[in-house]
Parts: sequence; structure tokens; C-alpha cells
Amino acid sequence: MAYFVLLLGVGFVLGGLAVASNPSPYYGVVGLVLGSVVGCGLLVSLGVPFVALVLFMVYLGGMLVVFVYSVCMAADPFPETWGDWRVLGYGVVMVLMLIVGVVFVGVECWKTWVVTVDSGSIFVGRLDFSGVAMFYSLGAGMFLAAGWGLLLTLFVVLELVRGLSCGAIRAV
Amino acid sequence: MSLLHLSFYSSFILSCLGLAFHRTHLISALLCLESMMLSIFIALTILPIEAQTPSTTLTPVFILAFSACEAGTGLAILVASTRTHGSDHLHNLNLLQC
Repeated sequence: MAYFVLLLGVGFVLGGLAVASNPSPYYGVVGLVLGSVVGCGLLVSLGVPFVALVLFMVYLGGMLVVFVYSVCMAADPFPETWGDWRVLGYGVVMVLMLIVGVVFVGVECWKTWVVTVDSGSIFVGRLDFSGVAMFYSLGAGMFLAAGWGLLLTLFVVLELVRGLSCGAIRAV
Repeated sequence: MSLLHLSFYSSFILSCLGLAFHRTHLISALLCLESMMLSIFIALTILPIEAQTPSTTLTPVFILAFSACEAGTGLAILVASTRTHGSDHLHNLNLLQC
């Protein structure tokens, strides 16, 4: 069962590689969707389904949807694909740099076990539910800070895209 | 480093390299930033699992909220530069005129 978690880890790395070596933003979004789906599967296998659902809803259902229609605005009508030799060259060079770095740091390949939520003992009150619920009790200050930051970002975005003659970014 | 830590470490490094070597589009760099944030989220979620401390589960949710702010701001900059330069190609962003 631990090997399944490590397989999901390999899928996560492949998603990151797909985003990094993207020939066109369309394929980068595919890699990001793959990475987030596999990352959610990883978190569910480790025993924290609530945080995985938060990731699905906020990241995949909120942020990536906004990215998808921005990509539709900003990308080419005739994109490159992964069959081009330049894109493959980029991917191979990045993987080689990663392997050099990892060999430098050193990986203990015999540690194929995975620590899950139930490694200590079995709990009735689950770790992720009771942890995130602290946003409403002891972490109320963090909650208010995050809400204030999100409200501020709304006004920042409205100022940046206002346009006409008094917007924030003008090249003329 | 255990093998599970190697997976999000590798994904973070690959996304950093993708951000450094981005080629044509500004939005490719923004996608690499999002991938970096995703690997940071997974790493911060593995912390409460391995240390068995529920209160550190707040950290990934908090950072997800601020990453949504950052993604929105980056996309607003992308829209503004597409509106003035006509596309989001990076070789068009040259105020230096050289």
C-alpha cells in the first residue's frame, strides 16, 4: 500500500515536469490539473481527506478555472506540441539537472515506508478536521487576516485592469 | 530524504526550472508559479501528518488563500499587459527600446 502512495508521488513529479516543459499554455494547464488530481489522491491516501477536498475546490475549481479562460485569451491558435524536439530537449535537460541535484543531496532509497495519520494510534477526532476547525477558535486572528487579504486583493485587481487612461499599467 | 519527500522536492525544483527557462508566453511563467505553490501545499500538509500535530494543518489552508490572491494579481497583470501590448509574448515587453 505504501508503493501506491509512492506511485502517486511519481505522478506528481510527472505533472510538475509537464508544467515546466510546456510547449504551449494549453498543455501546461493539463499538467497542472494532473498534478493537483494526483496530489489530492496522495493526501487522501495519507489520511487527510478534508485538506484534499479544500485543494480540489479552491485550487482546481477556483484558481484553475480562472487560469483556463486566461489561457484561452492569451495563447496561440496553432500551438507547438510535445513531439517537437525543442520541447523534448527542454524536458530532458530539466530532468538531468534534477538528477544531478538529487545525487548531490543524497536520497535514502531504502526508506520506502510512508507515515500516515494512523501511524501512532487510531483517533476518533480526525487530524485534518480538528486542525482546520481551529480557524474558528484559536486561529481567529489568522482567519481575519486571510479575509482582509482577500478583500484587499479584490481592489488591487480592480485597479490593475481598470484601463482607459488612468489604469495602473500603461506602456504609452 | 525519504522517497515521499523526494516527490514534492523534485516537483518544486522542476517548476523553478520551468519558471527560469520560460520561453514565449507570460502565462507559462504564471503556471509554473502555480505548480510551485501546489508542491509547497503538499509539503506543508505532510508536516502535520508526520509530526502528528493537528494545529499545523492551518498552514496549508492559509497559504492556499494567499496563493489565490497571488494568482489573481498575476492574471490581472497579464490582462493589463495583453491589453497594452496586444499579446503576452515576453519579447514584446521592452520599454528600453534597444
